[in-house]
Amino acid sequence: MKKLMMLGLAAALVLSVAASAVAGATYDKVMKEKVVRAGLMTDSIPGGFYNEKKEWVGLDVDIAKEIAKRLGCKIEMVPVNNKTRISFLQTGRIDMSLSNMTHKRERDKSIDFSITYFFDGQKMLAPKGKFHSLKDFVGKRVAVQQGTTSEINVKNLLLSLGDKAPKVISFQKEPECFQALQMGRVDAWSTDSTILLGYAAQVPGKYELVGDFFSNEPYGIGLPQDDSAWRDLINFTIQDMWKDGTYKELYNKWYGPDTKYYFPLTEKIEMWP
Amino acid sequence: MINRYLEKEWFQYLCLAVIAGAFIYYFGWVFNFGYKFDWSVLFTKNATYGQVFGKMLLTGLQKTIIITILSSIIALGLGIVFGLGRLSQFKPVNWFSTCYVEFFRNTPLLVQLFFWYFALPVGLPEAARDFLFDRNYEMIAATVGLGIYTSSFMAEIIRAGIQSIPKGLLEASYSSGLSPFQTLTKIILPLAFRSIIPPLGSEFLNNMKNSSLAMVVGVAELCWSSQQIESLTFKGFEATTAATVLYLSLSLIIAGILNLVNFKMQIIPQQLKTTKHLIADAFFWPVTSIFSLCSKASRKFFRKRQEDFNLTRTQAMRRAVLHTTAKVFSFIWKAVFIIFIASVIIAAGIGISHFNFGVIRDNFMTLLIWRFPNGGPNEVLWGLGGLSYSILMSIIAIVVSFIIGLVVGVARTSKNKLFLIPSTLYIEIIRGNPLIMVIFWVYFFVPILTDTYLDVFWSATIALTIFTGAYLGEIVRSGIQNLPVGQFEAAASTGLTYFQTMRKIIIPQALKQMLPAIVGQFITIFKDSSLAYVIGVLELTFVAQGINNRLMIYPFEIYTTIAALYFICCYLMSIVARRLERKLSTDTFRLQM
Repeated sequence: MKKLMMLGLAAALVLSVAASAVAGATYDKVMKEKVVRAGLMTDSIPGGFYNEKKEWVGLDVDIAKEIAKRLGCKIEMVPVNNKTRISFLQTGRIDMSLSNMTHKRERDKSIDFSITYFFDGQKMLAPKGKFHSLKDFVGKRVAVQQGTTSEINVKNLLLSLGDKAPKVISFQKEPECFQALQMGRVDAWSTDSTILLGYAAQVPGKYELVGDFFSNEPYGIGLPQDDSAWRDLINFTIQDMWKDGTYKELYNKWYGPDTKYYFPLTEKIEMWP
Repeated sequence: MINRYLEKEWFQYLCLAVIAGAFIYYFGWVFNFGYKFDWSVLFTKNATYGQVFGKMLLTGLQKTIIITILSSIIALGLGIVFGLGRLSQFKPVNWFSTCYVEFFRNTPLLVQLFFWYFALPVGLPEAARDFLFDRNYEMIAATVGLGIYTSSFMAEIIRAGIQSIPKGLLEASYSSGLSPFQTLTKIILPLAFRSIIPPLGSEFLNNMKNSSLAMVVGVAELCWSSQQIESLTFKGFEATTAATVLYLSLSLIIAGILNLVNFKMQIIPQQLKTTKHLIADAFFWPVTSIFSLCSKASRKFFRKRQEDFNLTRTQAMRRAVLHTTAKVFSFIWKAVFIIFIASVIIAAGIGISHFNFGVIRDNFMTLLIWRFPNGGPNEVLWGLGGLSYSILMSIIAIVVSFIIGLVVGVARTSKNKLFLIPSTLYIEIIRGNPLIMVIFWVYFFVPILTDTYLDVFWSATIALTIFTGAYLGEIVRSGIQNLPVGQFEAAASTGLTYFQTMRKIIIPQALKQMLPAIVGQFITIFKDSSLAYVIGVLELTFVAQGINNRLMIYPFEIYTTIAALYFICCYLMSIVARRLERKLSTDTFRLQM
C-alpha cells in the first residue's frame, strides 16, 4: 500500500516538473538548434502533397525548404491538416505553418502571421457549361471544407445573392469535397481558386471555375504568437526571396504557364524599403 | 498504523477530498497552461462571424439525438431479423445472415460510412440517385449506415440470448401445444430479452457515441459543431469541453433509461418491490398500459374461437387449404429469397469484374507499408504507414491498455473508496464519450499538460489506449464479479492476503472467462484505429484517402480494397475469439429453430 502511494506521488512530481519546463522563444530555439520545423499540408494540390513516387512536394514545401536554407537551418517537415495546423503552432510543435492559411483578424488573436506570401481568392468549381455566373448558384448545393474560412464566405455570398437558406455541406478534407462534386451530390465546390485548379487539372476538360473571386484570401505563414524577432526574420526572408527572383522561380515551377495548374501571378508582395 | 486508517471510510473520503483539492489548486492557480481560457465564446455573440456558438452546439446536439434515435430503431429491427436469421434452419437465410453480421461487424464504421456516402450513389441508376440527392442524403447515409453497423452487433447479442434459453423450456412449450410463432413471441423473445438487456443497452450507448462519425459525411452533429467552433475561433478547449459535457449527459440519460428497463424487466413479487421498481413502473406506464389494453382486447376476441377435435367437412377443408397455401407461400418466399441472394452475388461479381485491378496492384504496397523504409529523416518509424501502422497502433494500445484495464478493473471491485471512486470516474467518463472526442482531447490537451510535442501517431495511440483501458476495466470487473463468492471466502480462510488472493486465485480464473470479450475488444481497437485519420495519422484509411485523392476516379477499387484488408484482419481475430469461446465454454449445446 505504501509503495503504491509513493509511486503515485512520484508520478505526480514528474508530471509537474515536466509541465513547468516552459519552451523558450522560437527565434532563440531555432538559432540554437539550427532546425526549423515547418507544418505542411499533405493533401493540398499543388501546395503540399505526395506525388506518385510518394515524395512530399508542392509550392509550400519548396518555399519552406528555401526559407530553411536561407536561415542556415535544417528543415523538419511536419504533416498538418486544417485541424492540427493552429494548435501545433500554439503548442510549439512547429515553428511556422505553410498550409493554405488565410490571414484573418479573428485568427490573428491566437497566432501571428507573416506578410502575405501568396495571393488567392475564393471561386466556385462546377461541371463545365452548367453555370455562367455566381447568381446561378442560388438554391444549389455547394461543398466546402470544414475548418476553413471558405464555408462562411460561401454562406455570406449566397445570402447576399438572395438565397434564403444556403445549402452548404462541409466535409473534412479536400478530396471528399471533390468526390462529392464528381458524384453529383453537390453542384459546386468552393474554396481558394488554386486548390480548385489543382483538382480540376486531374480530370482535364470536365470542370471549370465559374464567376469572379468573391473573397480575398491572402495566405500568410502562420507563426507563434508574440515572437517579433522570429516574425521579422521570416518576413525579411520572404522579401529577399521575392527580390532576387527565387520566389517567381518557385511559383512558376508550380503555377507557371507550362504547368497543369496555370495561375498567373498578378500581385506583388508587401516590400519594405 | 496508516493501514488501519486506510480502512476507515471517512479517512478514504478525506484523502480523496485532499487529492481533488490539490488538483484543483494546482491546475486552477499554479499550472501555466500557456492558453487563455475564454468561456464567453460559447454564449456571447461573436463579432467576426455574427453568431452565438452555443446555439451551434445545441443544433448539433439535436442532430445527434435524431440520428441516435432513428439509427437505434433501424439497428434493433435489423438486429432481430438477422439474429433470428442466424438461427434459421433454411440454409440460405442462415448463410446470408452470417455473412451480413460478419461483414458489418468486422469493417470500420468510418469505411462503411464512406462507402454508403461516396461510393454507393455512383453505382445507382440516375433516377434513384436524384431521388436520394433531393433529400438530405448526408443524414440518410449516416443514419442508415450507423443503423446497419450497430444491427450487426445487436444480431449477435440477440442470437446469443436466444441460444442461452434451456432446451427444456422449448420442449415444454411445444408439448403444451404452442405453435412455433407463439413459442417465439411468448417464451423465447421475452426470456431472451431479459438476459440480453445489459449488452443490448451498451450497444445503444455505442450507437449514440458512434453517431459522432456522421461528421465525416458532412452531417453537422455535435462533434462537428465543436470542431467548427474550434476552427473558427481556435478556442478548442472550451468547445471540446462543452461537447464532452453534452455527450456525457446523453450517455447518463441513456444509461438511466436502460437501468429503468432493467428494473421493469425483473420478475419479483409485489412486496419486494423497491422505489426504483415503482419509478420504473411509472416511467413505462404509458407503454405497458397500451400493451395490456391490446392483449385484453385480443384475449376477448380469440377466446371465442374454440378448437374442436371433431371437425366438420368444411372445417377440415378450410384447414387443408390453409395448410397448402402456407406451404406454397413458404416455397415462394424461399425462392424469392434465393433469387435475391443470387442477384446480389451476380451484381457484386459484375461490379468487381469491372474493377481496374491494375490500380489495386500498383498501390497495394503503399496501402500496406506506405513508403517504409524510405521515409524522411523526421518521420516516425522510417516512413511506416498504412495497414502496418494501424496494426502497430493497435498492438501498442492493446499491450498498454491491458495493464491499465487490469489495474482499474481490480480497483473497481475494491471496497476501498480511495481506489473505487477514481477508477469508476475514469471508466465512466471515458466510456461516456465517443472515441473521436478522446482523440481530440489527447491531441489537444497532452501537449499543453506536459509541454512536449507529440507526433499525431503517438497522440492517437495514447487516445486509443486510454479509451480501451476503460473498456477492459469493465470487462475485468465483470469477470471478477462473476466468480462465486465462495472463492474469496475460501482464499481468505486459508490465510491469503488480498493481493495473494487476487493474483493467485481470482485473476487467473477471471481472465479465462474474460478472454473472448478481451479479444473482441482488440478487434474493436483495430477497427477504431481508422479514426486516427481525422487528425492526420498515416494509417490505412488516411493512406487510402491520399491515393484516392491522387487517382480520383477509382473510389470503388480503393474502398473495396481497404474494406477487405480490415475485414481479413478482424475476421481472423474473431475466429480466434470464437475458438476460445468454444474451448472455454462447458455448454456445447446449440439451439436451432
